[in-house]
Parts: sequence; structure tokens; C-alpha cells
Amino acid sequence: MSRTRPLLRADAVSRRYGSRVALLPTSLVISEGETLGLVGPNGAGKSTLLALLAGATEPTSGGLESRPGLRIGWAPQRTALYGRLSARENLEFFVRLEGERASRSAAAALLADFELPLDSVAAADLSAGTRQRLNLAAAMIGEPEVLLLDEPTASLDPERRRRFWQLATRVKEAGGALVFATQNLDELDMFADRVLALRGGAVVFEGAPDDYLQQYAERLHA
Amino acid sequence: MRTIALLLQKDLRLLRRSPVLLGILVAYPIAIALLVGLVAGYASAKPRVALVDEEGLPSVVVVGGERFDVAATIDRVSEDVTLVRLPRAEAERQLRTGKIVASLTVPVGFMSDLRRMARSPRLELRTTRGGLSTRVTQQVQALVYSLNRQLQSAYIDANLDYVRLIRKGGDGSFLGRRFEVLGLDGTERLLAGLPPDERVDRVRRFIRIAGLALDQTDDALRATANPIELVTVSEGGRTWVLSAQIQAYALALTISLLALLLAAGAIAAERDENVIGRLTRGLATLGQIVLAKIALAATVATALGLAIAVAFGAIIELGEVEGGEPWGRLPVLAAGIVLAGASLGAVGALLGVAAREARTASLVALLVALPVVFLGLVPREVVPEAGLASDAFPFAHAVRYFGSALYDSSPWAALLREAAWLLGIGTVFAVAARFGARRLSA
Repeated sequence: MSRTRPLLRADAVSRRYGSRVALLPTSLVISEGETLGLVGPNGAGKSTLLALLAGATEPTSGGLESRPGLRIGWAPQRTALYGRLSARENLEFFVRLEGERASRSAAAALLADFELPLDSVAAADLSAGTRQRLNLAAAMIGEPEVLLLDEPTASLDPERRRRFWQLATRVKEAGGALVFATQNLDELDMFADRVLALRGGAVVFEGAPDDYLQQYAERLHA
Repeated sequence: MRTIALLLQKDLRLLRRSPVLLGILVAYPIAIALLVGLVAGYASAKPRVALVDEEGLPSVVVVGGERFDVAATIDRVSEDVTLVRLPRAEAERQLRTGKIVASLTVPVGFMSDLRRMARSPRLELRTTRGGLSTRVTQQVQALVYSLNRQLQSAYIDANLDYVRLIRKGGDGSFLGRRFEVLGLDGTERLLAGLPPDERVDRVRRFIRIAGLALDQTDDALRATANPIELVTVSEGGRTWVLSAQIQAYALALTISLLALLLAAGAIAAERDENVIGRLTRGLATLGQIVLAKIALAATVATALGLAIAVAFGAIIELGEVEGGEPWGRLPVLAAGIVLAGASLGAVGALLGVAAREARTASLVALLVALPVVFLGLVPREVVPEAGLASDAFPFAHAVRYFGSALYDSSPWAALLREAAWLLGIGTVFAVAARFGARRLSA
């Protein structure tokens, strides 16, 4: 078995919002070619952990370490888009901020990959599924090596889900890593190499998907 | 810089996509500026004053041989105040309720005192406390002064008639009694018929000297009555609505509301759209986001401010208003609008990060903007504390900058001082907004 190199490391990161604890100190390593599935009930701390790994939120304690120059893509659960801009304008804006000069062609490629509308309809007026695809497309800007996805397929139809996983797994195949939060156990079984289960802001399970699913089934029938 | 420019470009595009919001953002401050202008105009409108005529003034009065047109005098007073004739009881009731700000009573016996000149006739002025009463008192004092001047002139003419009677001799009357006066000229003629004598010569010398002295009485009497005379040449200058002060206030007020609301709403909208996290993970720093909102406020304020300045100037030019529009000062004015817009944008950004939600931010910005503006409108000579408080915000400095930029003959010292204030205040608020912006990513 070949030894994989770590891309991203969280060292006892925690996050509080006032007196509310969103995530207790949690340590984690994400390595090349890995797909990590995050599971747990609503409010378990999955979104907070992903936002911390993405660098979108500052940890209250602990630290994060990443391979120098690592490109990270992040798709939050609630779409992070400008509602009054069209799909193309949203993508072009974020592409330009990434520093890419060829913003039009990069945006056009993403529009095609995610089957997004080319017209000038504002993002706020798109269907929930289309907005989510736009949200995922924005996460793919800059050819990320680590993709952090928060319930990415929650509002996608089966065909769009299949298509999305095809695109996402390309990142893993290129030597990157995927981390996704989900409530869908089928997706966990199909795509995850490792599972991290959270409850009340704490890690309650870390291991192989089969083991987690077995424990889950046992708990369900107990 | 490139990141800020991209964020600004995006914000301007978003603004253009919201024509209703853009329209309201432009129209609302202008409407407020106009309303404040109307209120300011009302301050110079006529206060309502009661005239209680217990004497029953005739339309024409003859004093010292001079005719006084009472109706015309009342009309003249009505140019400054709205004069309403009321009975005493009603005037007292309206004074208590504040429906009138003063009552001017002409008491019984006024006319007889005036005609007899034995004692000064009296007018009675009663006012409410504060507000417009000072102005009314000043106006009535001015009226009494004007009447006194006319009466004085009539009395002087009457007195000079007596002096002429003493000089020339003839028929005269005083307090209704008629009499005949020999006069200095008649006395001299009588003396001429007398045999030469030293005593006659002495009386003759006296008559000559007295005659010379009495000849000077006219000018001397008028000069002593009016040691200093104020001569009104003609009415000049701009009307209040086109005054330099209103121009500066209208500009400052418009861009204050616009910049505060825009910056507050725009920065809070980034959180509403949930994009703060996406931006701050390497695409843009919180500082750059704050600066972009300040730049947005400055850009839109400059566009609107210059449009207002040009429109105002065009009205002045087309109306051939006295003084003209100082077009050459427009670049200096533009620099001030940029600074003021940025400084106010920094205040707005701080309000936006404190409020976190766009709707709350806009409401907070409006609630903060109005007292800040009104603080700046209070004359610091009247309430020094208001002046000190308004110094902490950009509005008052913007007003002073615009006023100097447009109309001071040597504006540079004032411009530099106010520009430094705007820059300093803007920096303080921008730094505070940057630290507060952490709340947006929470």
C-alpha cells in the first residue's frame, strides 16, 4: 500500500459562537486521494468543521495547517452567491478574484460542466437545484486540490447527482481530496473512503464506511 | 487594489440591477434635503402676530402737521409678519395656545398722547417664550423705530416751523391757542425806526447773531436727532434658496444620507448573500471588503454630488443670479465630495457590520444619519455642545468644506483643515469597521 501525503491538517480546532459550542476540539488529517464523509444529525458541527477547513471561519482554538500553495474549493450548505447576478456573472466575478485572467472562458467551462443557464436570469430567480449547481461550480473555480462540500447533492435530481459525482471525483483522481458532509448513507457508502461522525460538536466515530454503516444499522435495530 | 476594484465593480453592477433601490437612494436624500430646505424656509416665514386695536386707529393720522397713513404702516409690518386683528381676550387666548407668537396692543388714549406730545404714547407687545418671539420682538422694535423716525421728522418739522416763526414772525398756534409773533426780522425792522442808541445797537447785534444761529437750527436739529443714519440702498444678493449656505447644506445632506445608507446596506448584504466566507478564504480580506464599500459610497456620492452641483450651477447661470456659479471651483468641490463620501461611507460600513443584516443596517443608518445631520444644522453659536458632537461626524465638516470651496475668496486654509478632519474621521471609522467586520464572518 502506497503511503499518501497529508494535504490538510486540523489540530484540536474548536469553534464557539458566544456561549454556544459549535465544535469541540477536533483533530483531523486529510490526505492525497482520500474521500472523507462527514455525518451526524443537524447541528452536529459538520458545517462548522468544513468552514474551518475552508478558512471561511476562524477557529476559537487550535490550528490548521495545509500544504503550501494548496488550492481549496468550498461549497457551503447555504448557497454563497450574489442573487442579482446571473450564473455567468457570479462565476466570472469569483474567477477574476481568483486571479485568473481568462475569466470568460473559465466561467464558460464551468457553466457547461454544471449545465447552468447561459442567459441573464438572476441567481435568485433560479430553481433551488440550479442554484446549488452554481454553488458547486463556484467551488470548482481555480482547479482546487481539496474540495470541501456541505451536503452538495441535497437538492439535485438523480441525473445531476450522478453528473456531479463524476466531476467531483476527478479532483480525487488528480491526487486531491474530497471532504463532504451528507445525510445520504448511499452516497457515503459509494464515495467515502473514511467516515467521521459528529454529535453535539464532538467526534463520535472515525473509521471505514462499512463499520459506520454496520454500527448505524445495529443502533437502528436495537 | 485590483481586488477592491473588482468588488466595487460588482457592487456598482448590483446597484444598477436594482433600479428601484437606486432611484430611492438618489431621490430620498434629495427629498430630505428639499424638506429641510422648506423647514429652513419656514424659519424665515412670517410669524402670526395679533394686532389689538383698542384705540380704533383711524386710517390717516395728522401729527405735527404731517399726515400718517396708518393702513400703509400696517401693510408694511405685514411684509414681515402676518398681522391679524383680534380683540384683546381672543389675542390672549391665542397667545396662550401658541396660535400667535405675539400680540401688539394699541391702548386707549394712544392717539391723544400722540397728538398732544405731552408724553410718549405706548404700544404694548406681548410674546410667547423662545422660538420666534425674539424675531417678532426685533421686528416690532424695528417698526417702532421706523414710526419714531417718521414722528421725529414730523416733530422736527413742527419745531422748525416755530423756529421760523421766531425768525420771520407771523401767526402761530400751540396747544390750540393762536397767537401772533413779531419775530426777529420784525424786531429788526422796528429797531431801524428808533433813534441811534448804544442799547439799540446791542439789541440789533443780538438779533443778527440770533438770526444766524437760528438759520443753522434745521441741519443741527436733524443731525442731533440722528447721530448715525442707516441708509438702505437696495436689496441685493441671492434669495435664501439659492444661497451658498443652502447649496453646501443640500450637497452635504444628500451625500450623507446616500453614503451612509449605501455603505451600511452593501456591507450587510454581503453577509445576507452568505458570500463573506467564500470571499475571505483567500479571495479578499475583510479590510478589502470594507474599503470596497467605502469606495462604493464615495463613487456614488461623487456622481450624485457633482450632478447636484452642476444642476444648481445651471439654475444660477440660467437665472442670472447675483454672484454667478464658481465653475472653476468644481474640481476642488469634487475632491471634497469624494472625501466626504468616503468618510461617510466609513461610518456607514461600521453601522453595516454592527447591524449585520441589510434591512437592519439600512434602518440603523437612517436612524443615525438624521440626528447626525440635524446636529450639524444646529448653529454652534446657539448650542456649543451640538457643535462639538457634530465635529465627531463628517457631515458638519463636509458642509464647511463645500461652503469654502464654492464661495470663500481665500478657501485653502479652511479646505485643508476640513479635508484633514474628513480624512481623520473616515480613517477612525474605517478601522473600527474593519475590526467590526469579524462579526460578518461569524
